[in-house]
Amino acid sequence: MKQMIEDIEVRAREELFININPIQAAGRLTPEAMKAIIAYGDGYSTCDWCGKPFRLDKIRRPPISEFHVELAKFVGMDQARVVPGARRGFQAVVSSLVEKGDSVIVSSLAHYTEFLAVEDVGGVVKEVPLNEENVITGENTAQKIEKVKRETGKLPKLIMMDHFDYMLGNEHDIHGVAKVAKDYDIPFLANCAYSMGVMPINGREMDADFLVGSGHKSFASPAPSGIVATTDEWADKVFRTTQTVGDVTGRKFGIKEVEMMGCTLMGANLIAMMASFPRVRERVKHWDDEVKKINYFIDEFNKIEGNKVLSEMPRKHTLTKVDTTGSFDKIAQTHKRRGFFFSDELKKRRIVGEFTGATRQWKLNTYGLTWDQIKYLTRALHDIAKKYGINVA
Amino acid sequence: MVEKAVEETFAALFALTDLRQIFRDTKPTYQFNKEQKRQIKEIIEKVRQSLDVIEKELIK
Repeated sequence: MKQMIEDIEVRAREELFININPIQAAGRLTPEAMKAIIAYGDGYSTCDWCGKPFRLDKIRRPPISEFHVELAKFVGMDQARVVPGARRGFQAVVSSLVEKGDSVIVSSLAHYTEFLAVEDVGGVVKEVPLNEENVITGENTAQKIEKVKRETGKLPKLIMMDHFDYMLGNEHDIHGVAKVAKDYDIPFLANCAYSMGVMPINGREMDADFLVGSGHKSFASPAPSGIVATTDEWADKVFRTTQTVGDVTGRKFGIKEVEMMGCTLMGANLIAMMASFPRVRERVKHWDDEVKKINYFIDEFNKIEGNKVLSEMPRKHTLTKVDTTGSFDKIAQTHKRRGFFFSDELKKRRIVGEFTGATRQWKLNTYGLTWDQIKYLTRALHDIAKKYGINVA
Repeated sequence: MVEKAVEETFAALFALTDLRQIFRDTKPTYQFNKEQKRQIKEIIEKVRQSLDVIEKELIK
């Protein structure tokens, strides 16, 4: 592929290869988002028509203000803001609610940025253990809250729980956790980084106080982009406006929101997110088909002798962790390219996105692949297995 | 008028972006169905028309 500018190459892997990278699948742009980037790539491109009260989410041209209203409705919450990634959503909520020494409940499969958000304010992370199916339950969450209460004499200040986790793509008992949160009167943040934008999400039905989503993981948007949404009850706290006055100039910046650092996701990233929104709204209605495709793929994957699936079964999400220690890794032991033989074979068949060189445990994501591409992928894996003498049922 | 040429520049880029999407939908075998073949023809025609306008406005 030709160089685009000096040493920056054209990235054409989405045009040339089937990409099964676990984190890239649902962040692939729609054509509308690609066009938005062409037109709105300049730095402060969203600021052409910014007038009073001078805040990003109030801009009417392009219709950023309307987008915020629609976004909140789409996720079943009262108010929403766009942020530079889900991590900034965690940070905004944690920074508003948690003080030094406070405990925050998270999953044993929580993303590292949840840890960092808590550390940033001097809080203490307390992890809820998984059950035997690698799932977080309301019951385990309640037990952890009781433990924290016994050990610290105080209740945790916040519960942050993943709807689907990034390690296994398992669905966690978000409703059970929300109920426990209500019972203990602890605010509850549902981390929907792997669900908002690919499947229907309703924060009110989840009984969540805060929802966080990821634009670049699940909303067909460029990185960084994300969403934080909340109820009217909590909006004044998390979206509080600045009260600071300059001691020399007496300057005030009244409408700017402290946790958002004023304006949040400016320029091409936001407009691309808005441009993808109509398709995202439509595609969540077809999540069942995506689930059918991953389960078809897994059925075929499991026909290769020695293959295993580490995620919960049947699959409820397209992000899946698999184990090929009993199949492709056996070949890697004696192959001159070691584990890279598998990547080589995949690449020859125009497939990329597996963890290069890994032949034991690795993750994949089939989101957005057509049925033809899913079938091509399964045939390719069968072909590789047969080529190296691994039985395929 | 340069404005027309600028407009057609975007129109051509957007049409080519639609072609990118067809590559994405059909990779890695690129076996186009009837509808995709029709879309490809339409895109090529659109880009040609845009280039004609750009040439007329800027060069001729």
